[in-house]
Amino acid sequence: MRTRLALALGLFMALQATAAEPPVRLNIKPLLCVLDKNATACAVTFDIRWKSVLAAEYCLIDETQPAAPLKCWPSAVSGETRHEKQVTQDFLFWLSPPSGTERVAEAKIEVLRVGSADRRRERRSRHVWDVL
Amino acid sequence: MKIPTLRTLAAVSAIWAAVPPAHAQSAPEPATPVPNAPHPAPAEKSWRFGVGLGYGQRTNPLIQSEDIPVVVDLDIAWFGERWFFDNFDLGYALVDNAYFTTNLVARLNSDRAFFGKTNTRYVNFQMTSGGGQVPIVGPPSPGGGPGAGVVPPVELEVPDRDYAVELGLEMLLDGEWGEATLRAFHDVSGTHGGYEISADYGYRWIRGRFSIAPSIGVSYKSTALSDYYWGVHADEVLPTLQGYEVEGGFGWEAGLRTSYYVTKNVRIAVSANYEKLSDSISLSPIVAEPEVIGYFAGLAWQF
Repeated sequence: MRTRLALALGLFMALQATAAEPPVRLNIKPLLCVLDKNATACAVTFDIRWKSVLAAEYCLIDETQPAAPLKCWPSAVSGETRHEKQVTQDFLFWLSPPSGTERVAEAKIEVLRVGSADRRRERRSRHVWDVL
Repeated sequence: MKIPTLRTLAAVSAIWAAVPPAHAQSAPEPATPVPNAPHPAPAEKSWRFGVGLGYGQRTNPLIQSEDIPVVVDLDIAWFGERWFFDNFDLGYALVDNAYFTTNLVARLNSDRAFFGKTNTRYVNFQMTSGGGQVPIVGPPSPGGGPGAGVVPPVELEVPDRDYAVELGLEMLLDGEWGEATLRAFHDVSGTHGGYEISADYGYRWIRGRFSIAPSIGVSYKSTALSDYYWGVHADEVLPTLQGYEVEGGFGWEAGLRTSYYVTKNVRIAVSANYEKLSDSISLSPIVAEPEVIGYFAGLAWQF
């Protein structure tokens, strides 16, 4: 009886964990590129990893070149690759089946420009309370 | 040391103003795109809202004063084609070219902020055999003993000071070498009748999500400005506060601002600033510390 109860509890917990996780998870690092005002682009080597609950074929798409997948994997539950890119704007990476346009997982890469070409936006306040 | 007059600075600025702007204020140059850039750099918004939440403070150099806590730091600014509002500074861009920007700016003097955080203290005096009065330390003893000659307590209070509206010119320069600002401001509200000239320089490094920006600056405050805020005037002299006239002088400051960008809009901010008051201000009877130290650590949002 006790064994059955433990098994039922274990199964329930496993189902809970499965329900909380998306079927395909795409992890990319880094997700943020910080640019100084004089810089035009970040030279980034993205570390791209994905995991799927079910084995399937997926292709990695870069929003800026959607017609040509960066890489396609044969049927698998996980995959990883590295990709070098000059980043100047926000864009998306996503995973799609080889023969479809459905996005099963996506990740947004953001570009933050620190500073401005408008010098007025860079003026330093001399107020006593200004600390940022 | 001879200080350039505001008239000289105004003349120099008029020459700058005569030079037509090299490019429009509202169209900042986008970053040069690399060959595979999908889109041009986005235009900047006119409004800028930011808030910093954390803990920090600025020390108050005045006697009987409280340090200024900094828990929330708001950043509110608007930038038009030439007019702008930047955290209570109102400005108008006179000249903007590839080398520098010159603005006409109206601002509130920041020295006044320290005078809003002061207390009154009561000092007891004791009559001496020679008829003089000396302050006694500790509470007066009731009847007899050393407190027998005690006269009523005299209050020791930091005099009130008003905010001054100052109008002036600022020149902003930047390049691969960093950023620099030259400023000259004069009172236009009839509060202190003086002026301040300052220069500062800063440089920012960015590595990954981390940025660090040290800065240094020097300022000259005229005798009229320094004496109005930091002197003890004839009508303010008390048995507890001797008169003192402050002369114009130089002060300097150094700061360090660091950020770790968690997301595009959120960063962890840590900053510190040290300001050394001029020698003459430091010797004033209402000044307890010759410097102002500020620090802050917290989260900052940019909307």
